[in-house]
Amino acid sequence: MGSEQPFKIAVSDDALALLKRKLNDTRLPDEVNAAEWAYGAPLADIKRLANRWKDGYDWRTHERKLNALPMFTRTIEVDGFGELNVHYVHQKSTAKGAIPLLFVHGWPGCFLEVTKVLPLLKAVSADHPSFHVIAPSLPGYAWSEAVLKKGFNAKHYAELFNKLMISLGYTEYVTQGGDWGHILTLTAASLYGPKHVKASLTNMPICEPPTFGTPIVLLQCLIASFTSREREAVAASQDFFKSGMGYFREQSTKPQTLGFSLADSPVGLLAWIYEKLVTWTDSYPWTDDEVLTWISIYWFSRAGPAASVRIYYEIGDAVVGFPKTTIPVGLSFFPKELARFPKVLLRSKGRIVFESEHEAGGHFAAYEQPEALVGDLRKMFGKSGPAAGVVSGCDGY
Amino acid sequence: MTSEQPFKIAVPDDALVLLKRKLDDTRLPDEVDAAGWAYGAPLADIKRLVSRWKDGYDWHTHERKLNALPMFTRTIAVDGFGELDVHYVHEKSAAKGAIPLLFVHGWPGSFLEVTKILPLLTSVSADHPSFHVVAPSLPGYAWSEGVLKKGFVVEHYAELFNKLMISLGYSEYVTQGGDWGHFLTLAAASKYGPEHVKASHTNMPICDPPTLSENPITFLKCLIASFTSHEREAAAASQSFFKDGAGYIAEQASKPQTLGFSLADSPVGLLAWIYEKLVAWSDAYPWTDDEVLTWISIYWFSRAGPAASIRIYYELAHLDNPKRVRFPETSVPVGFSFFPKEVVHLPRVLLRAQAKIVFESEHEVGGHFAAYEQPEALVSDLRTMFGKSGPAAGVVPGCTGY
Repeated sequence: MGSEQPFKIAVSDDALALLKRKLNDTRLPDEVNAAEWAYGAPLADIKRLANRWKDGYDWRTHERKLNALPMFTRTIEVDGFGELNVHYVHQKSTAKGAIPLLFVHGWPGCFLEVTKVLPLLKAVSADHPSFHVIAPSLPGYAWSEAVLKKGFNAKHYAELFNKLMISLGYTEYVTQGGDWGHILTLTAASLYGPKHVKASLTNMPICEPPTFGTPIVLLQCLIASFTSREREAVAASQDFFKSGMGYFREQSTKPQTLGFSLADSPVGLLAWIYEKLVTWTDSYPWTDDEVLTWISIYWFSRAGPAASVRIYYEIGDAVVGFPKTTIPVGLSFFPKELARFPKVLLRSKGRIVFESEHEAGGHFAAYEQPEALVGDLRKMFGKSGPAAGVVSGCDGY
Repeated sequence: MTSEQPFKIAVPDDALVLLKRKLDDTRLPDEVDAAGWAYGAPLADIKRLVSRWKDGYDWHTHERKLNALPMFTRTIAVDGFGELDVHYVHEKSAAKGAIPLLFVHGWPGSFLEVTKILPLLTSVSADHPSFHVVAPSLPGYAWSEGVLKKGFVVEHYAELFNKLMISLGYSEYVTQGGDWGHFLTLAAASKYGPEHVKASHTNMPICDPPTLSENPITFLKCLIASFTSHEREAAAASQSFFKDGAGYIAEQASKPQTLGFSLADSPVGLLAWIYEKLVAWSDAYPWTDDEVLTWISIYWFSRAGPAASIRIYYELAHLDNPKRVRFPETSVPVGFSFFPKEVVHLPRVLLRAQAKIVFESEHEVGGHFAAYEQPEALVSDLRTMFGKSGPAAGVVPGCTGY
């Protein structure tokens, strides 16, 4: 295991020149009249973004901004997979008792998702707890090395995270995650809690559907009276399952086929991800440069964009899970999350000590609603919170 | 409706130069060790094909070969959609009583799929019937105009085909199709048979599953049918297709525009997307690199661009009243050809309940692209079905095939 290396993003001039050349040679598709969002990312949006990316968007400005983050790389060994070089953000709080927090992103997310919660989590106050934050880039994302051996699944991610945290001196810590972060942090909780992982907060609370094997839960779900909000959310989930999962089906079966497009076509990658940035958020007012920075991280990533979709192949449907764990778990519900699972079902999956229902926000909760998410973490882990003091000697103050 | 215009493909130099530049700037993905075909199109294959496409593959040679085909365009008006310019192959037989045959391709196919059966179908002999062949490019494919209005669905394709055949002087005809061609020719048979469409042959027989309420007898028959080991293997292969091979359907049927940006902009992306199917869906067909590259180039240089070709999945997945989409109801005689490596296999007892099945044949070799992989076998089936004393002999009055 290597030591920590400070890291600065330094995309080569060659890479920038190639992107520019490709953007200049962009060949756009046609589009049916008045398509809007019905058929996917609208042509007008992608055209505008591609033009901006070509002329006006300055990667170096955003690279500089990102390099102001406390970023590092370090090599972590995972059983059966050798050493993986992991890129991560590591921000310490000045509070002596700050709680170590592992933050895990998903797809099409990245470490960018931690940037808005970072200053809030770090803030020291008598009124709320403070956190040390570790936000790794998943293998194959941003500047983390990709796994080139088959079969890297949830438990391997968990091992990677746990070893990372321990290598940074955090033998006990809590976790926060959404999208892939949900299953990966809860897997870590399942395997390394309560010894190392002391508590988890998920902003994408999902689990396996109930079966006849769990008859009481099944019955509870059938007779539960859902609030009108839950009913709306469940209806929206149906929509997602019915017509929003094409990307999932392709990425979980033929990631390599799709990967050729994502690696070769800036506008193809842009459309593939932008469609989710808009449809999965709660009217988040994306600026063009915000979108382009997000996409550029994928475009300039160490392993290339194709590596990022392999997680779907390796883990697949098991992403819809809630691993068994004894540690306290918190659920944050955001109204525009992709899938809404009944609370009565989720409560049967673990020791749910905290729940919050928000009025705004979607899938990218930490990015769309940083105050709300941090508010949840502060409530859950603060003085007299339901998970107060779970980490020995780290009450957050 | 305009008159028939002879058509020659003439891809402009600009387009060739752009393709070359894009190929030169190809950025390839990584790949897990020993991936094989498990994760999709293998990197080594695509790398090799890209190198060939970049240097060595000569589009003009293949363009010339394609231009030796009897190709035409003509404008057809479709109710609610205005006029569509349709590209098609039309070859007449020398036999006076030749049977007019409409051949319809699917995705990721094209009019290329008719090229091997064309000389066989139009050949004249006392021993087998001869056919006049009409093979249109679906709207949005090859040099047929794309549809830019929402909602172009089965009955519109049927109308387009029927008007095309009638405009060519074939007010009565038979059909052959696979992939989308299966759905669309049977839709034509449903809407325009038996007045115009006299019989249909499909090499991808599929249908909707039976339900207890709608088709109780068929439902029960399927429950108690004893399947041959052949059928059991085939059913397992179908499961595998739906489980691991149908991601493209899920995306194309829901977000074709999103995917379309990649297919329109990236030659290697388009190549991988289609090549994966050319290999996975055929029965060990010995594709040459240039064969693949011509197939892909037709998509790349198509009039409407590659994104238009996948919208058919969206439109047909968003029907207001989907009923018998997979096997439209028709009274005309239907024939089946079963090829072992077709992607979907359904129980025979179920398929036979869909229409008046007058012909069935089971092959030992061949996959999804039957006309291209097994031209003699497919043509033999058509000759048997429509020839003297065949089960659909003389369906087209005055056109016995001889």
